[in-house]
Amino acid sequence: MASRKAQTESLTLVSVLDLNEASVLHGQLTNMRGTDLKIDASGVERVGVQCVQVLMAAASAWEQDKKEFVFEKVSDAFRKTMQLIGIDIEHLLAKEIRQ
Amino acid sequence: MDMNEIKEIFFQECEEQLAELESGLLKLNDGDRDPETVNAVFRAVHSIKGGAGAFGLDDLVSFAHVFETTLDCVRSNKLEPSQDVLKVMLKSADILADLVTASRDGGSVEEGRSRGLVKELEALARGELPSGGAAPAEAPKPQPAKAAPAKAAAPAPAAPSDDSGFQPIPFTFEGFGEEEQTLEPSVFEVIFKPRRELYAKGNEAALLLRDLSRVGEMSINCDVDQLPAFDKMDPEAAYFSWTILVKTSKGEQDIRSVFEFAEWDCDLDVKVQESTAEELPMIPVPFDLSALDDEGAEEDNESSDDHSAMESAAAAAVAAAETASNVTRLAASRAEKKESQAAAAAAAAAANANANNSAGQTIRVDLDRVDRLINLVGELVINQAMLSQSVIENDNNGTSSINMGLEELQQLTREIQDSVMAIRAQPVKPVFQRMSRIVREVADMVGKSIRLVTEGENTEVDKTVIDKLAEPLTHMIRNAVDHGIESPEKREAAGKNPEGTVKLTAKHRSGRIVIELVDDGAGINRERVRQKAIDNDLIAADSNLTDEEIDNLIFMPGFSTADKISDISGRGVGMDVVKRSIQALGGRITISSRPGQGSTFTMSLPLTLAVLDGMVVTVAGQTLVVPLTAIVETLQPEASSIHSFGANQRLISIRNSFCPLVDVGRILNFRGTQANPVEGVALLVESEGGGQRALMVDAIQGQRQVVIKSLEANYTHVPGIAAATILGDGRVALILDVDAVVAASRGQSLRQDGVLKSDMSLAATG
Amino acid sequence: MKKKVLTVDDSRTIRNMLLVTLNNAGFETIQAEDGIEGLEVLEECNPDVIVTDINMPRLDGFGFIEGVRRNERYRAVPILVLTTESDAEKKNRARQAGATGWIVKPFDPAKLIDAIERVTA
Repeated sequence: MASRKAQTESLTLVSVLDLNEASVLHGQLTNMRGTDLKIDASGVERVGVQCVQVLMAAASAWEQDKKEFVFEKVSDAFRKTMQLIGIDIEHLLAKEIRQ
Repeated sequence: MDMNEIKEIFFQECEEQLAELESGLLKLNDGDRDPETVNAVFRAVHSIKGGAGAFGLDDLVSFAHVFETTLDCVRSNKLEPSQDVLKVMLKSADILADLVTASRDGGSVEEGRSRGLVKELEALARGELPSGGAAPAEAPKPQPAKAAPAKAAAPAPAAPSDDSGFQPIPFTFEGFGEEEQTLEPSVFEVIFKPRRELYAKGNEAALLLRDLSRVGEMSINCDVDQLPAFDKMDPEAAYFSWTILVKTSKGEQDIRSVFEFAEWDCDLDVKVQESTAEELPMIPVPFDLSALDDEGAEEDNESSDDHSAMESAAAAAVAAAETASNVTRLAASRAEKKESQAAAAAAAAAANANANNSAGQTIRVDLDRVDRLINLVGELVINQAMLSQSVIENDNNGTSSINMGLEELQQLTREIQDSVMAIRAQPVKPVFQRMSRIVREVADMVGKSIRLVTEGENTEVDKTVIDKLAEPLTHMIRNAVDHGIESPEKREAAGKNPEGTVKLTAKHRSGRIVIELVDDGAGINRERVRQKAIDNDLIAADSNLTDEEIDNLIFMPGFSTADKISDISGRGVGMDVVKRSIQALGGRITISSRPGQGSTFTMSLPLTLAVLDGMVVTVAGQTLVVPLTAIVETLQPEASSIHSFGANQRLISIRNSFCPLVDVGRILNFRGTQANPVEGVALLVESEGGGQRALMVDAIQGQRQVVIKSLEANYTHVPGIAAATILGDGRVALILDVDAVVAASRGQSLRQDGVLKSDMSLAATG
Repeated sequence: MKKKVLTVDDSRTIRNMLLVTLNNAGFETIQAEDGIEGLEVLEECNPDVIVTDINMPRLDGFGFIEGVRRNERYRAVPILVLTTESDAEKKNRARQAGATGWIVKPFDPAKLIDAIERVTA
């Protein structure tokens, strides 16, 4: 928890973001509030809507905080699931990985 | 494993379920009202129906379905399981058993019988009591018994499905996709709002949308307006909802069926879009979904080492599950886990473990494998005996360490033999259970009211004995019901309970199984039996017989006291047939009877047919084994007690009665001349029909337990010989078929296709 | 990596059918004979999906589903109910207990695989 005051935090998402993970993710993000956040979603194999809800709510919260909320890397599965459920994350992606 | 093997398993399981069903129904009949008993009965029928459906056994399915529906009424306390109700149920169980047999072996069940019972069952389910008594107001509707073919391509009814009975509701698109392909593509607007329960029950909106995208070309708009601020949100709530446009040539049904599992937990609106009225920004979803399918299947690797170790144990179990022993292995892996968590084991877990143990863990093994093992152990016993003998012959120091080792070996061999025999041992329960059906059926036919009480059903005996026990037992039970028990009127007149009782018990007694059949009927009418025996020239009119001897006359061939030959107790065959089959099993049967109080038949049978207690004797230089069960006594004949009559018949007088002498050596063609009885030993044997004969042998070598080797399997059938065995010195000894030899002595010659030579040698066994 | 399926059914016939069908379809299969055993095995096998019967001794399908849903770790696992009960009442009870979906017997391999595909990623 020492890293709490750091300017930039990074978060690596686990492979399965299911119902159980939603609360865990919410807790992790709550602890990182107020920092610039780089997210690594390259290991994600499965993502459920509830985790997407958490991520999207966080994205708006970070926007309000005027902090950075960037997906540095995303897996194909992550990107495609977002597309499937109609969530546009293009603006949240790091420039290098935008399509 | 293929479908045929599974079908085989199904029929095995049916047998078990039928037994479960019957014993449950009988318990209910005895007033047991434990809900678990009713549940077990219900499950048995349900399980049969489930398997039968998978194999398309339609007759079985439809009957089981009606039966199950009625049982469900009992289960839900809508129907009181009175004696009258149970009578119908027990009959239904019998029909169900017949249907199972018909499904397995081909053939059919008399349709009238099953149809009649279907009507009775349906009436019960409607609340109509069989006795015609006042029916309760509540009348649960029985479902129509429609046998559903496994691959019904019937159009799927809209979910939520109506209560349309036993009709599968296919949710695949196959089957009717084809007909509808000609439809003009139309655009459907789907509004989908999941509730949190949808996720809580393991459904996932993303997966539903994935399946929807397979129905047609899809574009989507996700409504995120309900999403609260980050710190106010409930991570497990449902905030997102969707408006989806699907362009497809399929129908609304196909779209709705995607949501079949989820529709209670979401708001769903599906309609054909008439115009492009909506102005939502839609994201097209054209991409290939393979990435989601394949990658999604990856396992999460976050589990602890401990956990993955368990996983691998489970995985090993799964690999092993290819064979039939999967259940045991899983149980084993579970046991491992229990050990590792022993400290944390809560009381509840312990209770579970107990429940597991009490069920008893079993494996199913092919009978052939067990038989091979038994054979090998037989060889081992022989080998060990041969080894001992040659050591004794070559070594005169009785105390040498080799001798001690041999003794231990002998002990071990015995134990192995006993343990292996125990594998084949099975409880007599299945046979006993079959008997209760026979009692019911016969009692019904003759209009008597009889209950069968069984005891010691878990007594174990070799499977072959069990298999051969059913026939004589059936015969005896029929006799007891038909002749033993009086009609209800007579019983009442005699001050007895109008309901008769037949009691069947099994127990172990000194290395044998003893089965007793007791009825509380009128007992043997000795006057009539005696008269009948005199009429049939079985005994002399002036013969002086004890009560016991009179009772045992009923085992004489052709004896029947029933005034009319009914088709219940058998077509003119009497108890002599029973006695013969019991004797063929190496067993004995006796009767004791008390007038007015009933009769008791006692059968004593060997626990196995693989070994035999025999008397080893010498006849004309040959070693023979005579089954000990056949021998009543042995005696040394004196010249004065031998009487000749006819050309070459001889009698021996024993305690004031005459008994024919049977010259074993001559009958088996071991020698051409008559043996001198005074130089040999006479074995008094009881043969079929109860008559006694004195078998003449040259000398007795001793008594011994021998391993039975089939002669047919190793050589060929030899008249007068039942089987063979191998003695400790390696010699083959023949086991005498006492009945055949006695029959031959009566003039019915042994059918001899090859003359039994004294120097005959048997093909090497094993 | 194979998807892992836990099946819970007291009928040996159905267990064998499930085993053959699932193995042929490339799933890893773990089997239990009733709800109690199912809950025990659950802890060891971490399944991707569960297929369960309703009528079972010791602990029936309803109780088993409730047990899974109360389990912190496995409450999100999809559960398919495999049963001959096509009537709305039984299905409803299973749903209330937390079932994800159902497969109506008679047992049809295609239906089973299809249902599993539907509830798993």
